[in-house]
Amino acid sequence: MVDKSTAKRLVDEMISNLPKHNRQQRPVHTIGVGVDAYFTASDVARKFCIAEHFSGERICAKVRFSNASGGPEQHDGWNDVRGMATRFLLPSGAATDLIATTLREFFARNVEDFFEFTKLDKHKPYRRESPWRKILDMLQLKIPRRDPYPGEETNASAGILNYANRHRFAQLGVAEFKKIGAPVSYARAAYHAIHTFIVEGENEVRRPVRFSWQPVAGVGNTNPDAPPVDDYLRQELEGRLQRWPARFVLMMTIGEAGDAIDDPTRPWPARRVRIVMGTLTLTGVPEDQATAGEQISFNPLRLVRGIEPSADPILHARRDAYEVSREMRGGTACPFSHRSCADGE
Amino acid sequence: MANDESWFGKFVNELHEKPWFKCAGAWTLVPIWARLTPVKPLPGGVRPSIQPGDNLQSMMNLIMPLKTENRSPIGRAAAALAIAKNRDQIFAGLDNVGTVHFARFVIVNDNICMFSVYDGDFTNYIRDFIATIGSAFNDVVKLVEGGDAVTPCEENVEAFIQWIHEHDLYQVPDTPTDFLRDQEYLEGDKAVSPVNDDLTLLPRKLVLQLRANKNVSLGSGYRAYPGYSVAQVRKQLQLGW
Ligand code: HEM
Repeated sequence: MVDKSTAKRLVDEMISNLPKHNRQQRPVHTIGVGVDAYFTASDVARKFCIAEHFSGERICAKVRFSNASGGPEQHDGWNDVRGMATRFLLPSGAATDLIATTLREFFARNVEDFFEFTKLDKHKPYRRESPWRKILDMLQLKIPRRDPYPGEETNASAGILNYANRHRFAQLGVAEFKKIGAPVSYARAAYHAIHTFIVEGENEVRRPVRFSWQPVAGVGNTNPDAPPVDDYLRQELEGRLQRWPARFVLMMTIGEAGDAIDDPTRPWPARRVRIVMGTLTLTGVPEDQATAGEQISFNPLRLVRGIEPSADPILHARRDAYEVSREMRGGTACPFSHRSCADGE
Repeated sequence: MANDESWFGKFVNELHEKPWFKCAGAWTLVPIWARLTPVKPLPGGVRPSIQPGDNLQSMMNLIMPLKTENRSPIGRAAAALAIAKNRDQIFAGLDNVGTVHFARFVIVNDNICMFSVYDGDFTNYIRDFIATIGSAFNDVVKLVEGGDAVTPCEENVEAFIQWIHEHDLYQVPDTPTDFLRDQEYLEGDKAVSPVNDDLTLLPRKLVLQLRANKNVSLGSGYRAYPGYSVAQVRKQLQLGW
C-alpha cells in the first residue's frame, strides 16, 4: 500500500503527461463503454476458490471496456492497450472487481519504477521518418518506425523505448505494447489481470493464481496497414449484442513455487495448470453511459473472502491511486448494493 | 498509413514485401551482419528447471539428416521401413517407459524426424528408450549422418544421449524478451538494470539466430491440459498402470 500523497502523485504525474485532460474524466482509460453482463461459474470453480461469485449462482456484472490512453480524444483504431474492468455484484450485497488489460505484463515492478517511467513517458512531436532513414533501418535489418496515424502529431513512444532499453524488466511489456494493435471488437480480445492473487479453495487450500478473460468469439485485430478508424468499438459492440450475447471465459492459471508472485513484469510459463472458472455473458450496452461507463469506478483491491492480493507493490499502489482519481473526477463511490441486470433480474 | 506520402515514400514502405528485395537482403545483408555481429547458435531441447510444471509435457524435436547415399526415394523408403518393422517394439517401449504422451516419426525432405512429448528428465527419457527399444533406434540412426559413431546405442549410451541432444531443435521461447535473455545468457550477461540495450535490434537478432539455427521449434508448445503427466491422465481415465 502507498500513502495518500504518493497515490496523489501517481495520478498527478499521469495527468501531467497528457497533452489534453478533462478533469471530469479518467486520466487513463478515458474512452470506454459500460456494458451489462452476468457471470456463471464453472462446475469446478468452487473447488479452487470459495469466493461468492464462484458458487455457481448467476451473478450480475457490470463491465467497462476502454482504450488505455488518457485524454478526451478517441482513436479506437490506433495501436493501444484495451481495458476490461468487471464488477461482480454478489447476492450478499457485496461487490468485487477484476481489472484486466490486453497487455499480459506490466512495465514497472514497483512505484519507484513507475515514477521513473512517467519521467520518460512524455509526448514528443512524432513525424514520419524520411524514406532514406527507413532504408538505413532496413539495411541494418531493423524494422522502420511506423508512420504517424492521420492526425497523430505527438506520442510517447521514444521515451517508452528509451526506458525499456535501460531496464530489461520493462522490455516484455513494452515490446508487446508496440505490436498490440487494435481489436476488431472489444469482444474479440483476451484480457489479463496481470497481478497474482492468492485464492482459497476447498479445505482451505491457498494457491497463487493469475486471471485472464478469453473471448469465445476468438481474438481478432484490425489490419495494421489499413487507415485506422477512430470511432467504431462502441457501435460494433452495440450491434453485436443486439444480435447475440458475447461471451468470455475466465481462465485461472495456478502458479508454482518459483514463479514470480510479486512482480507484474514477469510472465508465468505457458505450462502452468489452467482452470476454467466460468463464463461472462455480455447482454447489452445500456443507454445511460454516464452511470455505466463514466461514473462507475473500479478498484483492483475490491476483493471478497476467498481472494487476497499478493504482495505485488503495483497492485497495492493502485488501491489508493484509483480512489484518488475517482474523487478527482467525481466518480461514484463503490456502489456495494447497486444491482440491475440487463435481463431484468 | 497517412496518405500524404510521396511515390518514393510509398515505394520504400512497400519494399519489404517485394520478392527481389527479400532475396537481396537474404544474400547480402544477412551474411554481412552475420560477419559483423556473429551469433552463437542457441542450444536445443528444454531449459533445465526444477519447477514441476516445466518438467511435464516437454517437447523433443529431433531432425536427423539422412546420409548422402540415403537421400533418395530408396533411402527414405528404408527409413520408413525401419520404423514400420519396429512397430511392436515402439508400442511396447512406449507403454513400458510410461512417460511419453505422443511420439511421431516424420520424413521432411531428406531428414528423418522424431517429435515427441514426454514427462520428466530428458536424459532419463532417452536412457529408458535405449533400454526398451534400442534396436529400433539403431535401425533408424544407422541411416543418418553421424549415426554410425553412436550405434549400437546400447553400447554407447552417453554418446548417444549427447548426439540426440545435439539434434534436438532450439525451442524459441514464447516471448521475444526470453529469446533475448537466452542470447545474453549464452554470453554470460545477466544484467537487469540499468543496461544499454537497443530493442530495435530484436529483428536482426532473430534473423541471425535463424541463420545459425536453421530449424527451430516455435514457442514452448500449446497444451490443452498443461501441468498433467501421462501417469495422471491414464489414472484419471482409469486406463491402468
Ligand atoms: C502503478 C500502476 C498503475 C496506476 C498508477 C494506475 C492508475 C490508474 C488510474 C488512476 C485509473 C483511473 C481510475 C478511475 O478514475 O476510476 C486507472 C484505470 C485503469 N487501469 Fe490502471 N493503473 C496502474 C496499473 C494498472 C495495471 C497493472 C492494469 C492492468 C490490470 C491497469 C488497468 C486499468 C484499467 C483497465 C483501467 C480502467 C478502469 C475503468 O474502466 O474504469 N492499471 N488506472
